[in-house]
Amino acid sequence: MYSAIVFLPLLGFLIAGGLGRVIGARSCEIVTTAFLMLGMVLSWIAFFQVGYGHQGAELVDLAPWFISGGLRVEWALRIDTLTVVMLVVVNTVSALVHLYSIGYMADDPSRPRFFAYLSLFTFAMLMLVTADNLVQMFFGWEGVGLASYLLIGFWYDRPSANAAAIKAFIVNRIGDFGFALGIFLVFTLFSSIAFNDIFARAPEIAKGSFHFLGFDWPPLTLACLLLFMGAMGKSAQFLLHTWLPDAMEGPTPVSALIHAATMVTAGVFMVARLSPLFEQAPFAQTAVLVIGAITAFFAATIGLVQNDIKRVIAYSTCSQLGYMFVGLGAGAYSIGIFHLFTHAFFKALLFLGAGSVIVAMHHEQDMRKMGGLWKSIPFTGAMMVVGTLALTGFPFTAGFYSKDAIIQAAYVSDREGHVFAFLCTAIAALMTAFYSWRLVFMTFSGPPHWAEAEAHAQDISDAHKPQAGTAFAPAADTSHEHGHGPVHPHESPLVMLVPLAVLALGALAAGFLFKGVFFGDAAEHFWNGSLVFKDEIVKRIEEVPFLVEHTALLMMILGSALAYWFYIVNPSLPGRLAAANPILYRFLLNKWYFDEIYDFLFVRPAKAIGRFLWKEGDGRLIDGFGPDGVSARVIDVARGAVRLQSGYLYHYAFAMLIGVAGFITYFIVMGAR
Amino acid sequence: MDVSFAFFYLFAAVLLGSGFMVVAARNPVHAVLFLILAFVNAAALFLLLSAEFLAMILVVVYVGAVAVLFLFVVMMLDVDFAELKQGFLQYLPIGALIGVLFLIELIAVASFIVSGGKIAGAPLAINAVAQGERNITNVKAIGDVLYTTYVYYFEAAGLILLVAMLGAIVLTLHRREGVRRQSAAEQNARTKLTAVELRKVPFRQGV
Amino acid sequence: MMATALPSILTILPELVLATGALFLILTGAFQGTRSINLVNGAAFAILVVAAIATVFQTSETQTAFNGSFVVDDFARFMKVVTLLGAAATLALAIDEMSRQLQKPFELAILVLLSSLGMLLMISANDLIALYLGLELSSLALYVLAAIDRHNAKASEAGLKYFVLGALSSGMLLYGASLIYGFTGTVSFAGIAAAVKGGSGPGLMFGLVFLLAGLAFKISAVPFHMWTPDVYEGAPTPVTAYFAATNKIAAMALTTRVLIQAFGTDAAEWRQILVFISIASMGLGAFAAIGQRNIKRLMAYSSISHVGYALVGLSAGTQDGVNGVLVYMAIYMAMTVGTFGCIVAMRTKDGSVETIDDLSGLARSQPAFAFVLMVLMFSLAGVPPLAGFWAKWYVFSAAVDAGLVPLAVIGFLTSVVGAYYYLRIVRVMYFDDGPARFVPLSGVLRAVLAVCGIVVILFGLLPSPIVMAAGAAAKSLF
Repeated sequence: MYSAIVFLPLLGFLIAGGLGRVIGARSCEIVTTAFLMLGMVLSWIAFFQVGYGHQGAELVDLAPWFISGGLRVEWALRIDTLTVVMLVVVNTVSALVHLYSIGYMADDPSRPRFFAYLSLFTFAMLMLVTADNLVQMFFGWEGVGLASYLLIGFWYDRPSANAAAIKAFIVNRIGDFGFALGIFLVFTLFSSIAFNDIFARAPEIAKGSFHFLGFDWPPLTLACLLLFMGAMGKSAQFLLHTWLPDAMEGPTPVSALIHAATMVTAGVFMVARLSPLFEQAPFAQTAVLVIGAITAFFAATIGLVQNDIKRVIAYSTCSQLGYMFVGLGAGAYSIGIFHLFTHAFFKALLFLGAGSVIVAMHHEQDMRKMGGLWKSIPFTGAMMVVGTLALTGFPFTAGFYSKDAIIQAAYVSDREGHVFAFLCTAIAALMTAFYSWRLVFMTFSGPPHWAEAEAHAQDISDAHKPQAGTAFAPAADTSHEHGHGPVHPHESPLVMLVPLAVLALGALAAGFLFKGVFFGDAAEHFWNGSLVFKDEIVKRIEEVPFLVEHTALLMMILGSALAYWFYIVNPSLPGRLAAANPILYRFLLNKWYFDEIYDFLFVRPAKAIGRFLWKEGDGRLIDGFGPDGVSARVIDVARGAVRLQSGYLYHYAFAMLIGVAGFITYFIVMGAR
Repeated sequence: MDVSFAFFYLFAAVLLGSGFMVVAARNPVHAVLFLILAFVNAAALFLLLSAEFLAMILVVVYVGAVAVLFLFVVMMLDVDFAELKQGFLQYLPIGALIGVLFLIELIAVASFIVSGGKIAGAPLAINAVAQGERNITNVKAIGDVLYTTYVYYFEAAGLILLVAMLGAIVLTLHRREGVRRQSAAEQNARTKLTAVELRKVPFRQGV
Repeated sequence: MMATALPSILTILPELVLATGALFLILTGAFQGTRSINLVNGAAFAILVVAAIATVFQTSETQTAFNGSFVVDDFARFMKVVTLLGAAATLALAIDEMSRQLQKPFELAILVLLSSLGMLLMISANDLIALYLGLELSSLALYVLAAIDRHNAKASEAGLKYFVLGALSSGMLLYGASLIYGFTGTVSFAGIAAAVKGGSGPGLMFGLVFLLAGLAFKISAVPFHMWTPDVYEGAPTPVTAYFAATNKIAAMALTTRVLIQAFGTDAAEWRQILVFISIASMGLGAFAAIGQRNIKRLMAYSSISHVGYALVGLSAGTQDGVNGVLVYMAIYMAMTVGTFGCIVAMRTKDGSVETIDDLSGLARSQPAFAFVLMVLMFSLAGVPPLAGFWAKWYVFSAAVDAGLVPLAVIGFLTSVVGAYYYLRIVRVMYFDDGPARFVPLSGVLRAVLAVCGIVVILFGLLPSPIVMAAGAAAKSLF
């Protein structure tokens, strides 16, 4: 069964990718979606079997992969509770996204390719979460990176999509570099990369030291920091986050699947999977905590002022991933994973809802050109409101349980920096509520901004126009020339609405249904050793002061109220506020100038160095003495070698005799023993 | 010193000399004749080892068949050896160098052994068949082992000969269309009825 | 007088299948003539496959037959399976090629069977006589095969050159064998090993050098390689594939067995020769191929350099080294068959073409064909995700473990040079413009190319099955 879960998407990929043109787009859609649906059902069965049936961790051996010296790598599926949780998340969201995409991509000519990529991604993601060793995990890790690259750049005829795809790939490379180094270090320390061996020997290794570059390093801290660097890249954490917003160039279902629910949580999963290692490296945990907190705060600030509907959600994702890392860093791994679980539902819901809005608006993504959509697309609106409620942590929705738990866990944690994390996450909660409702209000209420726009050529793209560097106030856009219309917003087809409804159900109910097993009373049994579960954190959470317990709720109410005040009661206020604080506004609108700083710090010097090396180093030095020089010599040698080949039989025979004579003379002269 | 030693050196010297002449002779027919002389001397050496059967086989097969075939070929092809030998002088220095090198090295090895150097393993044990039971014939001795102990080699050699035959046929047999061949079966099957037509020829009128 | 116990039929089953099959097909062909061509070809292919299956299912214990002349162990079984599969695949290519030609000699398939039989005998040879007989059986058939297209002057020239030089090399080999026999008093490998243990004199080394010269001719290692480009170019393409893919494997197996089993304790001595041969082969193969325009000639030099890489592993003289050689030869077989399949597929309406420039624009006209050839070229160059990378990896790491770091470094450098000409083919296919010229591929060719491509990719991703099989095989030699 487990093999079926993992390999059905691969089969789907092969069918859609290999036979796509033969069997037609419709069959591809049906085949891949059906496989994923089956996978989803099997995953839920596995979830209840393993999670509730308290079946122990199970290894499904597939095949040995390669053996080289002391390194032995096996293909195997590691099935334990953490895995099945991820299986459920990945397969459920993926199946729904496949279904949704049938509607969303209906008029795209290269649908087989799209579905093939989606299935390929799902397979790679499943390989990642079922990995039994670091190398297999790295395989999945790179596989999802590849699929992500392909899907971001799916519309390869758009320069912006290609640029975004390359950016995502390169930024991820930086993280992967750390991850790879981490794997090397782990192998150096443990002489093994299988999880069981590593975890068993972690406490023992932690006591030793690692000598490198003349310093003694605490071995596990170094390893964990390197591995976490990989997680930062994949999960778009502070400093390595810049690719995620740009990744919204991809089709919206892709954003929902990869850049909200699954791939970006791979980093979170990795840290949780390696929790026995991180437990032995307190400093690394603090790093996780602090980076997570900064991300949660900083991404939320940017989210406040963005105008592209998908970018708002993207920054929200970034911020929520920060929350998850705070949970992990605080030592409450199960809570972090719980947030991952719930977040997958409501963030996928928001993205797919946003996709539905975009379809309704004929591929317009700028929120300033929306408004008043409530009447046209009430179902989508309702779904978006559900998603927003869950995201902001409205009582009894999914986010309420998981996010509150993280904020409280940050408060009670005994890691250094936990107060900082608590403050960051609490303020971020306020901002989360603000920007989420801002999105809903700008999109669905108020006067419609779309009817008044001029007719424009049918640009069926969901590309946004690049905004960096050109700031304009939200109110001053009616004269903006890129208007679309006349548009007649319409509700999306049923095939797109059903996934929304299912996800909404999850967003509402996933919290109170599974709270108990993830970090409640049954948690110890549920996790069954698949990650480090610390009972005392849960105990301490129950004893936090009243104010702390309700911080999140308070912040949510405050943020929601502010949003209501800004966008319903007094719609001119945001514009005036922006005009009054232009520096701050621009700072946020331009995303803390991260792209510009990176451009200045890395991209341009790198280009300059590259140009220098190309012109001077490569062109003059290396080409001069290297390829051009060497190739000239090589050609000389080659000509000589060819000349030997005269075609005369006696030359050949002679060469053989000379060879034999040479060898024998060598032995006679050197004196055989 | 046995008299057989004297004969050994005689035959061996003639063998080497005629071997050299095979290469050196200007006239190709002479070269083949020297080859025959070499074969005969080799057969004589076998005789000295009391391997009469091998000696006779050598004469029958190599002298009787192979060398004569060579002779035919050489005479029929009319190869202009003078032309072939033109390059000879050009390569003589380096050829001679290699030859001399081999010679020196062989002598070095031989002297190493003669000077009491160790030969790996046991000294050559002459086969018991040849040495021990004097009263059985060569043919019987060979036959005893050829189809039993060495049946594998025998079969493998048989296959090699099969390949040789097959190869010769593939490369040379032309199956041309339209060539009338003798068909013995057809000829035998002819009867008076099918082959002969009797005509009454009218008197003084011609056919 | 020793009574000869006939061996268990299972021990020699693959050989028996080939021998009786070949005899039966000769009779069929002789009586039926060219009408039986399809029957003979099909049956020959089936016989090779059956023999391969029979080999796979032999017991993995080491068995000897015919008074120890013939040995079946895991090493032999591994190499036999590789050889037989290579033979079957190239025979398929030959059958495909033959279907386009006017001349349809049924003897081709039979000669392939007989020479394959010779190769099996070589692989299983356990004494010097068996060694020579097996080698001669396979070689003689190969000489004929090279010239089988007798109306083609180039093919005839190839066959003649191969035959004359082959005879010279056989002479050297026999001379070496007789010296070895003279200095050890035995022809069996075990006996030689026992004799060598006490130390070998210069005479024995003299013999070993000559023996190695004969074997090096068969694997076409420098300086005994000179025949290779001419013969590869002149012989019909499927026959060339057969030379490259199977003959070298059997000869490499034989070389390995002789050096490890008979002269294992003398490794320090022969290693010096092997290191030289290996470096020279890698270097010459890499450099000389650059100037080639004919793709078959290029593949000849490529095969010379690949032999050099395989010898890197053998130079190590360790079990890991032999393991590397086995992995290398198996992967080399798949890559070579695939590449020659591509060359066979280079057919225009007017006949076969074989210059590299004829491939220009292939990526546009026949993308799948170009892709397979690209994969094979990358694999031959040793680009990481493909099987060819692992092949090099295992031999180089064995050499490094045995302390032959400079050898591994030189091997690495020459493979960089070698990558140039493989990538040039890829460049021509993908970046040069050219008309679509080739006729569509036949079903047989498609199957061969697909299998080779998949094998190369699959072993690249999952090398362990072949590595483990080779590991067991290498173990049986020590």
